Amino acid sequence: MTDFLRLLFNSLETGSVYALAALGIVLIFRTSRTTNFAQGLIGTFNAYIAAFLMLRFGFGIWTVALAALVTAFITGIVIDTLIIRPAAKVSPISKQIITLGIIMVLIGILPWFFGVDSMTLPRFIPTEYSLTIFGANLRYNTIFVIVLSTLLMGAMFWFIQFTKWGLATRVTASDETTSKLMGVPTKTVTMVSWATAAMLGTLAALFVAPRVSVYANMLLTVQISAFFAGTLGGFSTFFGPVVGAFIISFARNFTQFYISDIWGNVLVYTSILVFLYFKPYGIFGKKPTKKV
Amino acid sequence: MKILNQIENFFGTLSKRLTKHPIVPFLIFGFVIASIGFLPHTGFIRWGTMGIYAYIVIFTVVAMGLNLLLGFSGLISLGTAGFVGAGALGLGVFMNMGIPFEIAALLVLIIAGSIGALIGLFSLKVEGIYLAIATLFVGEILRQIYTQVEIFGGQAIRIGTVRFLGFINLSMINQTQRSFLFLIITILMVLMMIIMHNIVKSKTGRALMAISRSQHAAQAMGISLLKYRLTAFILATLFATFGGIMYGLYFQNVPTTAWTLDLSLFVIAMVVVGGLKSIYGTFLGVFIIHGVPNLWLKNVFGDISYIFSGILIILVIIFYPYGFIYIWYDLKKIYFKYKARWSKKKVTDHE
Repeated sequence: MTDFLRLLFNSLETGSVYALAALGIVLIFRTSRTTNFAQGLIGTFNAYIAAFLMLRFGFGIWTVALAALVTAFITGIVIDTLIIRPAAKVSPISKQIITLGIIMVLIGILPWFFGVDSMTLPRFIPTEYSLTIFGANLRYNTIFVIVLSTLLMGAMFWFIQFTKWGLATRVTASDETTSKLMGVPTKTVTMVSWATAAMLGTLAALFVAPRVSVYANMLLTVQISAFFAGTLGGFSTFFGPVVGAFIISFARNFTQFYISDIWGNVLVYTSILVFLYFKPYGIFGKKPTKKV
Repeated sequence: MKILNQIENFFGTLSKRLTKHPIVPFLIFGFVIASIGFLPHTGFIRWGTMGIYAYIVIFTVVAMGLNLLLGFSGLISLGTAGFVGAGALGLGVFMNMGIPFEIAALLVLIIAGSIGALIGLFSLKVEGIYLAIATLFVGEILRQIYTQVEIFGGQAIRIGTVRFLGFINLSMINQTQRSFLFLIITILMVLMMIIMHNIVKSKTGRALMAISRSQHAAQAMGISLLKYRLTAFILATLFATFGGIMYGLYFQNVPTTAWTLDLSLFVIAMVVVGGLKSIYGTFLGVFIIHGVPNLWLKNVFGDISYIFSGILIILVIIFYPYGFIYIWYDLKKIYFKYKARWSKKKVTDHE
């Protein structure tokens, strides 16, 4: 029971992190028609900013987190206006390689700005505040991460589903040319999507940072899992990837604990592959209709 | 007299045929690249620099395979690195078992090819980003296997001296033998270029091209999607695995941790930056992605050279979305423009 609960809490926490990252990826995929491989690194970059501010000026975690979110917003806008917009006519595959270019630029900038030493970020709520349920230790920070991510995602779904800007996002996602003709400011929508995605990535980075240290590849696993979550849930909806994220996080943690430490991942990936063979567009995905 | 004339005629047509023959440029190209292998002996370039060129040669083969997939059939694979690793590490494992090089290479190719066929089957169902991520799954599974199965030796696997063709011992440590290794991998690259050229110009290549333009129209013309997609995937994996075998042959010490998503992305970048559907473009792409940063940028800028390689990739894609090889046409245009202007000037001067 103790192990089970511990795994449950852990899976919920990692699941929320994956979901945040996956949501960012889907947002960009839907509005810019590209797979953003730089999602993880944009988050890492801003986590570096947070850690650097904390180390240099001694601000608290809440202040630097807020600062990192602001810089994330700016990063997203800068990337969209300087790089993605001029490349609007480039094919989707070339756009993916452009995001690889962004990765390389950011990886080059990191040691230049912040030095080569790895840095640390503390948890939002210190570790000593925790409660015990059936012998399993549950940190308040874990609860905070889960609740905040859930609230954020809920707010985003509400925003996308029920506001005018959300409608603009959805129509841009479904057909950019037509929405442009209908007077939807697609440029702004894309820009804001990049900014939001960058903020989501940064939040994921800030949640992961206390468990590992802040280093260039800290979000690698998260990002790959987020891609997998997107595929499992289906890229054509916004909530599919979130569900996929939790499924992957649960499956991974439980197989790794109960079946095999080494082969857990392989097992989960293989079963997802088999699942995808029968349902190629994910759990909630629909086959895109194509005109011939 | 008559006989002499005939000989002249014969050689005339032969030389014409030779210059027109499509594989001649590949041979000349290979000769130029192979000459790099002998430069370190004269002291023009360092031995390490030759390693960079070897890497370029090896990844040209890998990227050509992906070009076949991405350029000609429009399918994307994020598992390339896994298959390069399969080639290099598989070769190491089999050779450490005492199997001769050639048979080990053949075994690796067969195993990797069958995995490629499996992914090909998958590609019939899935498209676009879903296919990309399905191949990423395969890549990740392979990576996990490499780093965690003991047979691959943990950090790296040492191949050591390769007995090539059963009687030539080739070791990385000996400088003459290393030049010879470079020569061998260059020959292999030229061979793969010729094979690629033949595939592209054959029925298979035309069918793949048709599928990439319009799947439905191609199907209506009687092109079997199953057959050609499988072919494309098997060929791409075989090229990647072959590149891995070349890696094992040349470097003779294969790390297990290098075969990540990043590497797969770099291979895609090589194809996209160099030029889709172009064999020389692929080489150019590999040169831009791996050669330029390692040969020059690193010396000039040091640690921050990554920034410039990133900017280089972004700029090339924005200005040459179909590949940098198309700069050739622009240069030609500029040349003719200035030539016309110059000759006009000459005429007016004359008057």
